[in-house]
Amino acid sequence: MRALVVDDSRTMRRIVADILERLGFATMQAGNGREALDLLEAGETFDLACIDWNMPVMDGLELVKAVRPRPGWDFTTLMMVTTESEIGQIVRALAAGAHEYVLKPFTEDAIESKLALLGLLPREEST
Amino acid sequence: MSELAAALGAAQVTTVATEVFAAMVDGQTGFLVPSPGSSVSLADPLHAWVDLDTEPPGRVQVTADANTADDLTRAFLHMDAAVNVAAADVVDAFGEIVNIMGGNMKALLPQHVQLTMPEVSRQSPSGADALRLLELPLAWRGRPFVITVWTI
Repeated sequence: MRALVVDDSRTMRRIVADILERLGFATMQAGNGREALDLLEAGETFDLACIDWNMPVMDGLELVKAVRPRPGWDFTTLMMVTTESEIGQIVRALAAGAHEYVLKPFTEDAIESKLALLGLLPREEST
Repeated sequence: MSELAAALGAAQVTTVATEVFAAMVDGQTGFLVPSPGSSVSLADPLHAWVDLDTEPPGRVQVTADANTADDLTRAFLHMDAAVNVAAADVVDAFGEIVNIMGGNMKALLPQHVQLTMPEVSRQSPSGADALRLLELPLAWRGRPFVITVWTI
């Protein structure tokens, strides 16, 4: 399985990518929503995108809104990974098309649990 | 009383900080604790902050000695203690720590507010016109780590 990690903080990209790779994903990274769209428009495909909300250039909500209606990208699971914890913000993201929501700070177990709920644990495929 | 002063007391800020460190820096609680003294002295401080568009505008700032910030970066990134960290990695990691803290503190406010992107500097950003609402001297693995909430 392939995952895209979208966050303006390279620290967070590295932490999330490390977790996903330990879980069996192949990962790519983008520093904002625009860079993520560029990868998708260049033909890259992903089973999962982990998306921060607050980023320069194009934020995570704009990215979700841009990705969700595109027919070729509708199989990508969109998971917000963000500090935006107000219920109104969570509702906005889910209404825009995000499938799941993880709050920072998170643990590796929290990410793994969310992916298990989504049926997105690559390791389970080989067992 | 400002929104920040009403919503953020020492207990709330301590809870946010300990949760952030337990989840993402140390993997367990107990490494970030209240400082034994009421004030701390920093020989080589590095500051990171985010601003909130509260009324009046607010700021969440964290300060630690630069070598503590280096070790925080290693812990955040699960790097071996002997590995050198790049200055850019320290800036990014230290900024992300205050970003996560600020994001969780703004969630305690009664209405939605925006957070700026984190900034990191050797110079404290909060000048004479800033009003310090709260200064929380903590110790991370025995080394000073200070959280300050301001109105600016």
